[in-house]
Amino acid sequence: MPRIHIKVDPDLCIGAASCVTIAPETFQLNEENKAYVLDHGGEPTPRSYERVIEVTEEEKENMILAAQSCPTLAIFIFDEEGKQLFPDL
Amino acid sequence: MRYVITGGGVAGTTAAEELRKRDASAEIILVSEEHHPLYSRVLLPHYLKGKVPRERVFLKKESWYGEHQIEWLTGIVCEHLDTRNKFVGLSDGRELPYDKLLIATGGQVRPIDHDVRGVSYLRTLDDADHLVQLLAEQPAISRAGIFGGGFIACEYLNIFAHFQMPTALFHRGAYFWTRSLEPSAGALIHKHLLEHGVELHANTQITQLHGEKSGLKAGSGSAGDLTGIVTAHGEHAVNLLGVGIGIEPDFSWLQEAGVETGVGVRANAFLETNVPDVYTAGDIAEFFDPIVERHIQAGNWMNAMSQGRTVGKSMSGERTEFRLVSSYATNALGLEIIFVGDVERVAVEQVHIVGSVEEGSITQLFERAGRVVGGVMIGRNQDRTLITKAIQERQTVKELGIC
Repeated sequence: MPRIHIKVDPDLCIGAASCVTIAPETFQLNEENKAYVLDHGGEPTPRSYERVIEVTEEEKENMILAAQSCPTLAIFIFDEEGKQLFPDL
Repeated sequence: MRYVITGGGVAGTTAAEELRKRDASAEIILVSEEHHPLYSRVLLPHYLKGKVPRERVFLKKESWYGEHQIEWLTGIVCEHLDTRNKFVGLSDGRELPYDKLLIATGGQVRPIDHDVRGVSYLRTLDDADHLVQLLAEQPAISRAGIFGGGFIACEYLNIFAHFQMPTALFHRGAYFWTRSLEPSAGALIHKHLLEHGVELHANTQITQLHGEKSGLKAGSGSAGDLTGIVTAHGEHAVNLLGVGIGIEPDFSWLQEAGVETGVGVRANAFLETNVPDVYTAGDIAEFFDPIVERHIQAGNWMNAMSQGRTVGKSMSGERTEFRLVSSYATNALGLEIIFVGDVERVAVEQVHIVGSVEEGSITQLFERAGRVVGGVMIGRNQDRTLITKAIQERQTVKELGIC
């Protein structure tokens, strides 16, 4: 399975929660109302704004959809080689 | 199949994208009043504060439309609808036939009656560009005013604070969001703003603007530059006024065509209007929400984007009910404010309050027919996930268990 690197920029995140709606297994909001990254619903401590996780193609597509839904483009997704998959550069 | 979408914002553009995914050969025409490719209105405050450069507010490139065979008409609005012969009349005089039509035109800002250079609105990218210009022109000692008591007023508070401008806020109601908040929640917000140096004027209308011709700036508008605003309580020196008193959709052309409207364009849970093959989505839609079981209008990003996707599915033939508990989160000078679900006081039976002004945080729970249908959290982010879940699962206030 491919591994992807997901990163939330907490400075851009405004807690609109679109990502939580689309991919709740990957994103939840913390008490500062910022999205943090989960690994398949699991919450490996400490909570973190970025994480490398193994995903199926289908899961990856859904995470990109979640990132696209973010109105402040605060979610960045990279592939294993560090190539940015979203946002498009 | 020929799809016509009027409104180039996130609802209309997402619908176009979804339609193209599902139907490679359909004709898709997107009619947009604005000339910009899709951008995020939510990013405009970040752009104004210099957090992101202007080019980062765009969500689509100009080339995207052509690449997806979406005919993108800019600078054009629909002015006429013939539901019998199934065509729309455009502002450039053309008539555009459709098989299925989506109305996703959002809303226009409600203006004040006076126009002087120095008055700002905040809805479109052009509005934001104008504000950037106004901010750049401000003299060293400059005072800002805000007219409004809602989400846009919060954005102006943060923007003017970022530029360290002393700010006076005027609103017509007794406190912010009078249709949703109880007096204690309103008092909490006022207290926070006062503690952060905002000069507050509640229950106030602007009756006049004062402007002065500036000899230094040639061609800076015939009415002169803003120097003050007049209310029933006197005159206040203000060089820049941010106005956020709501949006009003223009749907006279739809009413003439027999499309049912209320506060928005009325639709069922499938986002279908009363007219066959005419759909609606986004800020303009007043849709039946099957979760809270009444018609609501939701002016937020999550709602607009999700409705665009759902309506695209339905229009392509996979009739899909729209189900979402959407929310709107903002921040007023550091105080977090979140609205979730149905938060209209007159439409519920009881509003429960958790917290207090003294504690510095308040959550309001909206209850109807024994169920939680909405919540407002002020300084209590921790309640958000639970309340969202309670609305989705139609829990009782007791089951939710936070008060």
